[in-house]
Amino acid sequence: MQRDLLELGLTKAEEQALQNRRTGIFIFQVSWILTFVCLAIVNWQMRFSSNWMPNPDDRLGVIIASIATGVLGASALLIRRSVMVVNNHHLSRFLRLWLMVIGLGVVFVGLIGYEWVIVPTGTQYAQVFRLMTGFHIFHAVCIGIYLGLVYVNGRKRVYNANDYLWAVEAGAKLWYFVLVAWLLFYVVIYWI
Amino acid sequence: MATATYPLGGALAPTKRPALSEYLRWSIDHKIIGVQYMVTSLIFFIIAGTMAMLIRWELLTPTIDLMANGSSYNTLFTLHGTMMIFTWIVPMFAGFGNYLIPLMLGAKDMAFPWLNAFAFWLIPPAGLLLLAGYFVGPAEAGWTSYPPLSTIYSPDGQTLWALSIHLLGLSSILGGINFIVTIKNMRPPGMGWFQMPLFAWATLATSIIVVLATPFLAGALTLLILDRVAGTTFFNPVAGGDVLLWQNVFWFYSHPAVYIMVLPGFGILSEILSVHSRKPIFGYRMVALSSMAIAIVGFTVWAHHMFTSLQPELRIPFMITSFIIAVPTGIKIFSWIGTIFGGKIRLNSAMLFALGFLSLFVIGGISGVMLGAIPVDIHMHDTYFVVSHFHFVLYGGSVFAIYGGIYHWFPKITGRMLNERLGKIHFVLTYFGFLFTFFPMHILGMQGMPRRVAEYDPQFQNLNILVGLSAFVLGISTFVIIYNMLVSVVRGKVAGANPWRALTLEWQTSSPPPAYNFVGDPIPFEDPYGYGTDASKAYLDAMEARFGASYNPEKPKALPPTTSTPALEPSAGD
Repeated sequence: MQRDLLELGLTKAEEQALQNRRTGIFIFQVSWILTFVCLAIVNWQMRFSSNWMPNPDDRLGVIIASIATGVLGASALLIRRSVMVVNNHHLSRFLRLWLMVIGLGVVFVGLIGYEWVIVPTGTQYAQVFRLMTGFHIFHAVCIGIYLGLVYVNGRKRVYNANDYLWAVEAGAKLWYFVLVAWLLFYVVIYWI
Repeated sequence: MATATYPLGGALAPTKRPALSEYLRWSIDHKIIGVQYMVTSLIFFIIAGTMAMLIRWELLTPTIDLMANGSSYNTLFTLHGTMMIFTWIVPMFAGFGNYLIPLMLGAKDMAFPWLNAFAFWLIPPAGLLLLAGYFVGPAEAGWTSYPPLSTIYSPDGQTLWALSIHLLGLSSILGGINFIVTIKNMRPPGMGWFQMPLFAWATLATSIIVVLATPFLAGALTLLILDRVAGTTFFNPVAGGDVLLWQNVFWFYSHPAVYIMVLPGFGILSEILSVHSRKPIFGYRMVALSSMAIAIVGFTVWAHHMFTSLQPELRIPFMITSFIIAVPTGIKIFSWIGTIFGGKIRLNSAMLFALGFLSLFVIGGISGVMLGAIPVDIHMHDTYFVVSHFHFVLYGGSVFAIYGGIYHWFPKITGRMLNERLGKIHFVLTYFGFLFTFFPMHILGMQGMPRRVAEYDPQFQNLNILVGLSAFVLGISTFVIIYNMLVSVVRGKVAGANPWRALTLEWQTSSPPPAYNFVGDPIPFEDPYGYGTDASKAYLDAMEARFGASYNPEKPKALPPTTSTPALEPSAGD
């Protein structure tokens, strides 16, 4: 099996540490995605227990959200590509791709932020919508800031190779998390 | 087969206890963090226990006389319940896990030492945040904090309560991730899943519940905080909210949380019963897998807390799952009885508390099955029967396991033995204090005395006096073990590496263990509970030869203080 660049030349202790990090971030993702599942269930239960869902014509349309979803999906593909590139020692190409991911992330947050602002206020629908999208945007922004730090450190070349490669891998995994969480909300908010 | 020729890991450098100051500051050593967890939770235990004494004092008479008003009483039972759960039992078991899991796995530390320290340091501020409510109007909606009590009828301390539980939940999740990764990735060669100590299995099952259930609590708390500070109306039916929403989400976390609070106790019990009966665990695999079964089935029973508010057609499925979860617990009980049956039982303090657990937890389990039955639950709902049930589970179960664990592992943690006579006095006071405090509550509940009231019908007074006086005995009993620990840590008999002649790896290093626990990779014995075989005797003799003689509780003879600092050459395996 081909090993990532990250896995080459590690001591036994470093290999153990890498394995721990990978398992740890996976468990964190599984755990924290359940907070999003919780909010999706909240949406679902509140709809059934009280009749506050507006008519389809009065709800937010799916166009902007669908564009945002496409943008986020594209950014996830790019981040996957950038991890492959950095593993092939193409740092400058990696940085370009990484910057594009951040840019697409900003576009995504801008589009959903726009929806957040224009949703008709004073209704339970708006309240639940703002809770869910706000919660997601909060995570996207935090993880986006982390991606920005990875970019800045890449430009400054302040990391040694192993630490930096791990930071890239972790950033990518966290961005996938943003995508999966959004897909869940996108379906629940706009399609069900 | 294990023989004395095994390359045994162990301490080379003389070991001494860390200085007191090391426990008061940031440290990434899992042993320091473990003790920090334990001591912090003990402090909160005393605070929450004092609240319990005040509650019982108030209830000596049917009228309000100690408290200024009903709100003061509400605050007392709210903070008592919250602190006992979130700042005593949960972090205390995290302390045991932190101290023991790396040692039991032959590891040098937890998988993420920094994260481990961070998870601990969230707890003291969270506990203080709970108490800080007294300065702004404390929480008074009970530990369950149902809206609208927790939204429109509670002062600002309720917001601090929610923030505090948020922090404690985050601490739990970080700890849970750390335990799972440590157990999955850091077992030594030769220790497969089914050679792992049962405490590690219990901690694994607990951690799985923590990482899967606690995010739901985080979600619910976020809604509660927003309702309180941002003017949202998630729980206000008048504005399109749903008042039952909180109950559903809260119990989806909080029922599994009951297993978070008791599964590590099951693990501790398995260790104690096997070691002090000198017998292998009866049905090891079933005990290990039943922990996982409890973790899984535990997610399907939450609505039995809501039988009185649930749609009738949903009650029966939840009643059935509530009965099903008694099966893996029953497997454990039978296994433990099978383990001690015919064993060479050492009736020391650890074993007494383990046997106390067994007897009391069974009563709590049976009353739990009773409450799982819809008609009984509807009759007993919100009465003292429920109070009795969960104290039998959480005190008779969890706290007895904690006490047993302290008596069992204190020699490892401090290098000193606890005083056995004081331990037995502690057990007698605790057992009978507990029994006469909480057993009569079954009767009070069946007679119809509601919980969470400061005033009650005078017909209940006689039993309440018995309960109150017994509770004071129970309260006093706590100071016996605290006194015992404080004295023994200074003047206790030197323990040596393995005073119980136990086979799990935490005993195969000096007491207290040195920094990074082992030099070289320790070799686990093939069966962590394989007592009574020639191979296990040879393994233990080899350990004794390596680390020097340990204190022998059956033939008490003081060891010189130097015994805990073996001056041994490294073996071939080091």
